[in-house]
Amino acid sequence: MLKEELETTAFLARIAVKEEEKEKYLKDLNYMFQYIEVLQEPDVTDVKPTTHVTELRNVWREDEVKPCPKETRDAMFKGAPETEGNFYKIKKVIEAE
Amino acid sequence: MDEIFKNGVKEIRTKICSGETTSVEVVKACYKRIAQVEPKVKAFLKLNEEQALKHAALSDDKIKSGAKYGFLEGVPIGIKDNIMIKGESMTSASKYLENYISPYDAAVIEKLKKVGAVFIGRTNMDEFAMGGSTETSAYQKTANPWDITKIPGGSSGGSAAAVSAGMVPFALGSDTGGSIRQPAGFTGIVGYKPSYGLISRYGVCALASSFDQIGSFSRTVKDTALLVSVISGKDYRDPVCEPIESADYTHDLDNPDTLKNLKIGIPKELGNYKNDPEIMKAFNDAVAKLKLDGAEIIEISAPSYKYVPALYKVIMCAEVSANIATFDGIRYGYRSPNGVSLNDEYSKSRAESLGYEVKKRILFGTYVLGAQNYHRCYHQAQRVRTLLINDLNAAFLQCDFIFSPATLQMPVKFGGELPEECDIFLIAANLGGFPGITVPCAFSPDGMPIGVHFMGRRFSDLKLFQAAHAFERIAGFDSYKYPLCADK
Repeated sequence: MLKEELETTAFLARIAVKEEEKEKYLKDLNYMFQYIEVLQEPDVTDVKPTTHVTELRNVWREDEVKPCPKETRDAMFKGAPETEGNFYKIKKVIEAE
Repeated sequence: MDEIFKNGVKEIRTKICSGETTSVEVVKACYKRIAQVEPKVKAFLKLNEEQALKHAALSDDKIKSGAKYGFLEGVPIGIKDNIMIKGESMTSASKYLENYISPYDAAVIEKLKKVGAVFIGRTNMDEFAMGGSTETSAYQKTANPWDITKIPGGSSGGSAAAVSAGMVPFALGSDTGGSIRQPAGFTGIVGYKPSYGLISRYGVCALASSFDQIGSFSRTVKDTALLVSVISGKDYRDPVCEPIESADYTHDLDNPDTLKNLKIGIPKELGNYKNDPEIMKAFNDAVAKLKLDGAEIIEISAPSYKYVPALYKVIMCAEVSANIATFDGIRYGYRSPNGVSLNDEYSKSRAESLGYEVKKRILFGTYVLGAQNYHRCYHQAQRVRTLLINDLNAAFLQCDFIFSPATLQMPVKFGGELPEECDIFLIAANLGGFPGITVPCAFSPDGMPIGVHFMGRRFSDLKLFQAAHAFERIAGFDSYKYPLCADK
């Protein structure tokens, strides 16, 4: 992995990496790349991938709106860093021209 | 050490319900032991004596009044800090969740509350369960009660140390890549990871979803079987939880003929890895004892064991990067005051509140899932995972259980490093969804406990308890010998 790849990956992962941390990340991540290499060795032609050892089932329910009790809503909002009324507050997404 | 701790969970419960003792007395005994050893061991992130005593008093009232009482009425238990209890904090040992209050109960907590168990405290762990030593906790390092200069293992090191030191009779943990069984091995107690899908994970902080399972720590196999009888069973809120009812997992545990009808496989690959000679000596003794009691011992082979560390790292990190993406600093958790835009705020919130190990795993996982790398990395790993499962299923056609040492190395001092193949025989169970249990069997000459590991076919958990219990009876290990919680 090169420095540019680390920067792209860090942006995709939304993790701010400081300039002085990059060397350590690169060293550790490049060490981990040997795992990818090891896994290229066996012949996996016609081998199906295992995503889960169990069969995933869809769990269906009626598509209906259920009122959320006020105490549940209040409890959920209480843990949020910033709220306004019944909304979570975040930084502006669309900038004015 | 209070006399009550010379008893199993069932006996403690019987003594409480018969009036021989009270839940309040038992809970007080736990806190007395905690006061003695916790300053050195540091197993708990949070203790709430007042609340625990209140619950204990309620249990005692229930029993005295003749009302219907629960299967674990008044019995104290420790809970790993990645399992939600409504209205209480849950940090997963991360700064990100420092002020988080759980809005609901995890499925296992609902079940424990229903049967009257008393929660003693929240146990320390590696941050978001990422680590094998409990040193990545953002809050404190937990010590091994058998030598407090050494690690207890991890990630559920707090639960392991709390049970081992006798602060609680049993505890819940989670196991993604040996995170229960490895610390149980290091601290001389029983550690169990169920078959994938046996116990609901609803309300538990996810690490790698195709491996994660909730399991337990206890002094004996019987105590674990008892606990599993309570916490297992279907739950539609965990989509991979199997639609099977919970059962009595203590059934036929004392059958004296269990071992006579068992075929136990020893992996040929065991010889390929660096191991501690004391561990191998104890393991060979254990094999000889099983044989003497009538078990048939055979050699099995699963060549794909060699891919276990690589498989685990690639798949686990990929799933970590997806799961931890939920921590964005918007709805709950830490939000950086330094963000200048939305993206910058996400990136700084995560960078400032997550530890290095967590961030490293997210970055590696993001890379292996990247559009250009996915096929060569993640998809390839999933195909090799199938090879390993095929190998192990083939081995299970020849034997009932695969038997190995719990770990190939002894616990190291703080800051030391364990070789990555140390627990590959444990991790194989996570990769294949198989149940596994570690049972202590001996002490090294310097007084550190050593354990063995049984792994069974998927959903052979009852048979696994029977085999492990049968071994426990002949192992000659005193389950009620307590550590001094000092350095050697």
